[in-house]
Amino acid sequence: MGGKVSCTLGEVKNRADFILYWGGNPAECHPRHFTKYTIMQKGKFLPEGRKGRTMVLVDIRETMSVKAADIFLQVRPGKDFEVITALRALVKGNRVDTALVEETGLKLEQLQDLVDRMKRCKFGVIFFGMGLSMTRGKHMNSAAVLTLAAEMNAFTKFVAMPMRGHGNVAGADMVLRWTTGYPFGVNLCRGFPRFNPGEFSTVDLLVRGDIDAAFVLGADPGATMPQPGIDTLARVPTIVLDPKVTHTSRLARVHITTSVTGISSPGTAYRMDEVPLPLRPVLKSPYPSDEEVVRRIIAAVDKKTAWLPRPETMSSGVA
Amino acid sequence: MLRITGGKVYDPANGINGEVRDICIADGKVVANVEGGRTIDANGMIVFPGGVDIHTHVAGAALNFARALTPENQRVAAKFMRTKDTRMGIGGQTPTTFATGYLYAGMGYTTVVEAAVPILSAKHTHEELRDTPIVDKACCLLMGNNELVMDLLEVGEYEKAKHTVAWLISAAKTYGIKAVNPGGVAAWKFGKDAKQIHSPIDGYNKVNPGTIIANLAKIVDELGLPHPMHLHCNNLGVPGNVSTTLETMKLLEGNRAHMAHLQFHAYGGDDWHNMRSESVQLAEYFNAHPNLTCDAGAVLFGNAVTITADGPWQHLLYQLTGRKWGNLDVENETGCGIVPYTYKGSNLVNAVQWAVGLELLLLINDPWRIFLTTDHPNGACFWRYPEIIHLLMHADIRRERVRALPDAALSRIYLADLDREYTLYEIAIITSAGPARALGMKQKGHLGVGADADIAIYNQNPDGELMFRYPRYVIKGGEVAVEEGEIRSVKDGHEFVCQPSYDEKIEDYLKPVFQQQYTMSFENYPVEAERVHGMQIAECSYHKETRTGAPEGDSPRTTPPSGG
Ligand SMILES: [Zn+2]
Repeated sequence: MGGKVSCTLGEVKNRADFILYWGGNPAECHPRHFTKYTIMQKGKFLPEGRKGRTMVLVDIRETMSVKAADIFLQVRPGKDFEVITALRALVKGNRVDTALVEETGLKLEQLQDLVDRMKRCKFGVIFFGMGLSMTRGKHMNSAAVLTLAAEMNAFTKFVAMPMRGHGNVAGADMVLRWTTGYPFGVNLCRGFPRFNPGEFSTVDLLVRGDIDAAFVLGADPGATMPQPGIDTLARVPTIVLDPKVTHTSRLARVHITTSVTGISSPGTAYRMDEVPLPLRPVLKSPYPSDEEVVRRIIAAVDKKTAWLPRPETMSSGVA
Repeated sequence: MLRITGGKVYDPANGINGEVRDICIADGKVVANVEGGRTIDANGMIVFPGGVDIHTHVAGAALNFARALTPENQRVAAKFMRTKDTRMGIGGQTPTTFATGYLYAGMGYTTVVEAAVPILSAKHTHEELRDTPIVDKACCLLMGNNELVMDLLEVGEYEKAKHTVAWLISAAKTYGIKAVNPGGVAAWKFGKDAKQIHSPIDGYNKVNPGTIIANLAKIVDELGLPHPMHLHCNNLGVPGNVSTTLETMKLLEGNRAHMAHLQFHAYGGDDWHNMRSESVQLAEYFNAHPNLTCDAGAVLFGNAVTITADGPWQHLLYQLTGRKWGNLDVENETGCGIVPYTYKGSNLVNAVQWAVGLELLLLINDPWRIFLTTDHPNGACFWRYPEIIHLLMHADIRRERVRALPDAALSRIYLADLDREYTLYEIAIITSAGPARALGMKQKGHLGVGADADIAIYNQNPDGELMFRYPRYVIKGGEVAVEEGEIRSVKDGHEFVCQPSYDEKIEDYLKPVFQQQYTMSFENYPVEAERVHGMQIAECSYHKETRTGAPEGDSPRTTPPSGG
């Protein structure tokens, strides 16, 4: 089994002499990634900076990021899982069928060369983007690439990290974990947390129409959800907290304008490597912060007669 | 105001051994007398100072990583329903924060020390501790692999290293420091480890694990921190590691140190097939060296999740078990590894580990120097402490359990030969009075006038497991927090923090180095005071003359017994 073998971005900056981006276009989607954390930086153990590092890009098409890469491997769409599986076999020294590799759009020699480089490096890292985790294979691809990185540690130091984005998604994930035990897709309807991605994830609930109301904070599902999900948001009372007008706010029953966190109100954001950063406001805003609005809503709800499940005797905690 | 009357009081710090006397409480403290207010009739019950857990992992990036990695554990764990006064949550191996507070308080524990905090993510740890209700908290900062400090030691800059450590503790708002596999985690950043105490660490010419250990112990004592250096030795979990542990202890002569989860460091043999207990040898050395305290890090059979800053050990465990592996190296500071694990009675290695934890608790003769822990959730979950108490109190039950082990285990352990049975007085020491003293928390772990009114009241029962699992009342800060298994008061506890003094010029040195090696700006690195909920600053007033592990009843730190 794999797991998740990772590090904070400073380790990449200081040590990574082999950097592989898979299914992502950092030059356009994470424009500070190259300069602040990865290939361009001089690190504690990489005084030469860019010269001391090898950068490989794996993607289905040529993007702006290709220019920054030493090696570009173009995979046929939907064949990522096969490539990762072949790499895992080569890492272990197993024989891989040439014809099977060629179906992925790559050659066996290219993969063998990649594996040799991976084994030769002192510190390797794989950053994988939505081009891997949200295409054919989805979480199977993520699991496979994480396992590849874990298994590489039998030969040299190796880590992997998803290229997350979209505001403070990592922060939401962290808070959900310590309050409910699960990172997302949590259902509290029974008075305690239950987890089932595919059943309780936002997209599934919206598409099935399994909700009576929606409260949207720091997201614009009206722009990204499948149409049946958007129809649900328009049908039920939807409340949106957002500094600006969004696709979701247009179909919402209530839109409360809030100040922009990090610009006009303070807060904490988690980086993609799960390091918390304090946000300091630089401007004043006439609008309340998200936090203030949520607190006022909680206070108002608290005044209502509570519907609660019958208090249960605390269990002993035996698993 | 509150009076507890009729109960047998066990207050070892004040030499009170089961005498029936009243405990009076006002304004959250134990006082000599009160008029009026509620009276709790504790007839037929025993009264203990609230439990103090000196080493546990309940909050922060590593634990939160483990939660995400093991949803299958949460699925089958105890569920906490939301009620009018309590939040929902999940128990199990890696409880959610609110559940952690309820589970500890529900067992009579009122103070917990989160043992492993990276500075880079200390903000996160404090946020989780804020969401951990009822209990008081403190935490230890990971320092044994901090490259800022190691680089200074490499060039012989001891004073600068000391000021750096003081600055880092102040910045991270922690109570003490912990060294985990000193040098080994730094070496792990390039896939190596540090197995020899006196060999230079990968990437260094002079600094070896011994340098780090000896210097940090000295720094902590010179800074006057109330709690000694908390140490997780090199070679954790490995057959034959007792030699490393003994070598390490020799380096510590002349300074205080707290040896964390000693069970994991007390093995003989040289491979997994001939691994054996070396508890006798280790306890003998330990007994003769009063500068040391330790916690057991006992193992119980069943499911666990191993979580430690010891990255290289976790990689080995992943290779041995083939189970899931989580790893998170933290730039320039530390690492973190997670592997789910099941301790099986039928497994020879696990059988030895189970025995060693109990053996150390029985062979270390001063209960003021060994404390009850399981290195939660590494050896077992904290909510299983009552099972260990029961075994400590009954030699016959231990022997019965030993008989169930594989035959091959019997020649490798000492447990069946040990007759010692803990008294209630000694249980009160290893679960409360002792750890409070080792932490230098003068207001904790006793029931004398002026103490924090943190009290656990149990129905006296010959079944120690049953008795300690379900306290009749738990009082925290003078308020009834738990009554017959139900949470009554959900006030938040305090967090204790130390702010050792340092030369402010150290920032001029640190800032440029920091900007070069980190990916966060220097200004964003320290934890803001507002982030630490209920912060109380503890004095850094330790002086070398003060002894640790003072004999029972006559410690200079005791306060006069209360009346009644
Ligand atoms: Zn620990």
